[in-house]
Amino acid sequence: MYIFLIGIVLMAYSMVAAKRITSLIFSFRIQSAFLFLATLFMAIKEKGLELYIVAGLLLLLKVVLIPNFLSNIVKKLKMNEYVGMFLNPLASLFMAVFLTYLSYVFTTRIIVFKAEAQVISFAASLSVTMIGLFIMIFRMKALSQVIGFLVMENGLFLAASALAGGMPFFVEIVIFMDVFVSVIIFGMFIYKINKLFTHIDVSKLNTLRR
Amino acid sequence: MNIFCILIIPVILAALPSIVKRPKALGIINACGYLFILIGVSWFISKTDMPVSFYKVFYIDALAAFFIFTTAVVAFATAVFSIGYIERDMAGLLISRNKARAYYTLFNLFSLSMFLAPMAADLAMVWIAIEMTTLASGFLVGFYNTKASIEAAWKYIIICSAGIIFALFGTIIFYYAASCAGVKTLNWVSVFSAAEGMDKNLIKIAFLFILVGYGTKAGLAPMHTWLPDAHSQAISPVSAMLSGVLLKTSVYAILRFAIITNKCVGVDFSSKLFIVFALVSLGVSAGFIIIQKHMKRLLAYSSIEHVGVIFLGFGFGGAIGTYGALFHVLNHAVTKSLMFFGAANIIKKYRKDNMNTIKGVIRSMPFTGIMFTLGMFSLIGMPPFSIFFSEFLVLMAGFSRGLYLSSGLYLFFIALIFGGILYHFSKVLFGEKPDDMKKAKEGLSAKIAFVFLFILMAVLGLAMPLFLNKIILSSIAVIEGV
Repeated sequence: MYIFLIGIVLMAYSMVAAKRITSLIFSFRIQSAFLFLATLFMAIKEKGLELYIVAGLLLLLKVVLIPNFLSNIVKKLKMNEYVGMFLNPLASLFMAVFLTYLSYVFTTRIIVFKAEAQVISFAASLSVTMIGLFIMIFRMKALSQVIGFLVMENGLFLAASALAGGMPFFVEIVIFMDVFVSVIIFGMFIYKINKLFTHIDVSKLNTLRR
Repeated sequence: MNIFCILIIPVILAALPSIVKRPKALGIINACGYLFILIGVSWFISKTDMPVSFYKVFYIDALAAFFIFTTAVVAFATAVFSIGYIERDMAGLLISRNKARAYYTLFNLFSLSMFLAPMAADLAMVWIAIEMTTLASGFLVGFYNTKASIEAAWKYIIICSAGIIFALFGTIIFYYAASCAGVKTLNWVSVFSAAEGMDKNLIKIAFLFILVGYGTKAGLAPMHTWLPDAHSQAISPVSAMLSGVLLKTSVYAILRFAIITNKCVGVDFSSKLFIVFALVSLGVSAGFIIIQKHMKRLLAYSSIEHVGVIFLGFGFGGAIGTYGALFHVLNHAVTKSLMFFGAANIIKKYRKDNMNTIKGVIRSMPFTGIMFTLGMFSLIGMPPFSIFFSEFLVLMAGFSRGLYLSSGLYLFFIALIFGGILYHFSKVLFGEKPDDMKKAKEGLSAKIAFVFLFILMAVLGLAMPLFLNKIILSSIAVIEGV
């Protein structure tokens, strides 16, 4: 189980350090794959049909459909692939490691869990969520913000399965649909932004001030 | 049974544009549908004994019914106002015929999601409904496809989606706490009944996540940054919906979790948090209102102020504070919708949004001008309008709990905003109209919407209808966890 967690967190780091949007999408795909493996592992261990379905959906949506959709946008817009950084990769990486440390301290100090495995997986999920937020804030391209959102969502999924063995089944399905729909809507807006502004650099969207 | 009507009517109306082609006919059918919903909801809350539940999917107690009623009021007014507004937009070639039909579909999806949120029995379903509101209204914010509106829409969906992830994180921790206490569900009734056995630290952390997450959507400062942009760029009837009820839907979600938290760790924890966030919101909005140039942005900042007042009421607590806060939810929804409709008419007529260059509204468009003046007095809290009474109740609650500093700050910010709004809007309203401008007549639909909202605003200030009083009192019982 730990190897999947390590994989997920490492992929979050590689996204923080990534300079090109394609490598960002690639890392996201690998991270989702690790998440899929973790869920599959749990499904085999607990022999629950519902978990198999959740794992299948994860594979379909987050490993295949969503990354493909995002790469398609990159191709169609023929844009500059640079992610647009407010903070250079090294400093970002430091921030990410620091966030992981903070999540760990937060988890051990404030929340009293029974098992060590739970502490580690919750700390990992919190740190992935925080790193997702970090990507959303410190990257300028609209597409990198979408990936930040998806990373946050991955962290969330991990938290749900680490803490409570997943949300109620029905809820899990609806959340998947919701993420899928949001990504499509984000994509539509990216096309609109690109059409109007001829770029998708969010830091240059500043017609509205105060 | 008529609960299902509330959900089915928007679904049917959302599909209607594929059959009915004429936007005006669509608008009229739309308004009739919402009139039906409003009557249904009023009948439901005055006749039915709460709580009502259907198969563990829907659960409606007094608190939920109150928020549904508020949504129904604003949705009806907006539906009526939209008829004329969309027609004028089409006449002005701002939008095409197809776009007008798309408006009605989106409008109905948006209001459907807002009806769904208070009805859901499951805390995760509440989350999903609130996420749906963002997705549906994103297109309405970016409706005109201008640079400014697309920028606002992007900020809106990105910031609110990030915020709402935190809310889901909080929900998951709540679920974990509940499952540790032996309840493996997010059904609100079961979670509430198990609240006392939950881990106190866990619940505190979870509630912080919830407050930050849904607080982003509710427009609490400092997470409010999307709000002024979205509210000012959205198509005007929708601005009223965003401000009047969208914010309140998130307030409702926060309240639901606050009830559980209060039962588990005591009232003090959530009360302190509410007061701090509320005062920050009041302060931020006061500052921005004073220096504001744009009319709709000013109204947006005023929404942040009123959300602050609502949370202050819940924070001060007690029967009086909670009553004031709930009453304020309805009052703000009614008054702010009226103001946004007024601003819509004014901006349409003058073709600009900058308050320094708009003058003489009362002369150039008497009906809108007078309604806007009355609405302004209501908004800043002048008696005998309803907002005065709810703001006064909140203040009373603060003093009766001996929170003099918070109450003093509250009074100070309210006074600043009073001055700011009066200064800005009196410049707009009074004075000579531009020479080349003709007197304008408003369409029938706008007049009906204005009169409907004005009557509510005035009547609620003078006398409390019995069924509303009953529903608010039983909502207080729900909030206090009796």
